[in-house]
Amino acid sequence: MFESDRLTALFGRAPALARLRRAAFAHGMRAFGPAVIATGAWAMVTAVATVHAGLSPGQALAMSGLVYAGSAQLASLPLITAGAPTWLILMTATIVNLRFVIFSAGLQPWFRHLGLAQRLLLGYLTGDVGYLLFIRRLGGAQPAAANTERIWFFAGLSIANWFTWQALSVVGVLLANRIPTAWGMEFVGVLALITLVMPSLTDAPAIVGVLTASVVAVWGNGLPLKLSVLAAVVAGVAAAVATEMARERRGAAT
Amino acid sequence: MSAPTLAAVIAGLTLVTLATRSLFLLLGDRVSLPARIRHGLRYAPMCALAALIVPQLVLAERGLAITPFNARLDAGLIAMAVMLFSRSMLGAMSAGMVAFLLLRALL
Repeated sequence: MFESDRLTALFGRAPALARLRRAAFAHGMRAFGPAVIATGAWAMVTAVATVHAGLSPGQALAMSGLVYAGSAQLASLPLITAGAPTWLILMTATIVNLRFVIFSAGLQPWFRHLGLAQRLLLGYLTGDVGYLLFIRRLGGAQPAAANTERIWFFAGLSIANWFTWQALSVVGVLLANRIPTAWGMEFVGVLALITLVMPSLTDAPAIVGVLTASVVAVWGNGLPLKLSVLAAVVAGVAAAVATEMARERRGAAT
Repeated sequence: MSAPTLAAVIAGLTLVTLATRSLFLLLGDRVSLPARIRHGLRYAPMCALAALIVPQLVLAERGLAITPFNARLDAGLIAMAVMLFSRSMLGAMSAGMVAFLLLRALL
């Protein structure tokens, strides 16, 4: 039986389907567990940096709450402090976020049958970490007709991601004036992301892709408008695909 | 920056997040990617995270610092080694953080 009318509204009336959705949603929320430290640390780092950039606590909360994109926020803060024109701030954030356009192309086959509002919401909630964990759950699966379970897993993952980000953003804003910038929190975030990415490096294409992306990101660090992240993603994916193709050719030759 | 301008910037940044993250979800089936590329996109998030992490390890204020005297790089490598051998995320993070704090005090 359903606990409340609200749950019925969320998961639907058909009992078997509602059970499947609810189980997948809970599974998704639990799957976010390993990412709580990384997301929480970056939410705090971003919130503290936002207050230190001169925004009021209310403005900082609005920014972290609505923009919901740490790397774009961190890239725009120095521009905001310097009083840069609005178009330049938005253009920089767009370029930092262009990797999400690439992610949305990967998500599209899974969400194609959903309504407009649902697609917009799921897209808005998809950060780097959420998409990484979704792909790990998919394994090598191809988009199929029976993907209700995948979508509700993704929804659970995304909601857990959102709550973690918002909660630690509030903590960061509240503590901002008591902790200095160089508090080691940023490095906690770096270490947490390292441990989060490593389990994905299971085969040669993934390793070649990540190494390529790392080299391009370091080499392109001086590029204007933070173009280096996009360049790194494009180069990394291309290198991974090339490695896959080379492996297949070798497999076919023997 | 004045409050109204900042409000406009925050609203604009929110739209940037929404637009970039849902672009292909909105275009729907009007754009179809070759299967090879679509499959390759599974590597995109790990590449993006590597692009955000690695510069933090190897770049110092004066540029590339791939030396044993770079506490961030040493600590990052220690965390990677612990992760590789123990598969423990918390163990790797703790080892990396202890190494970072010790090395930063020493170097």
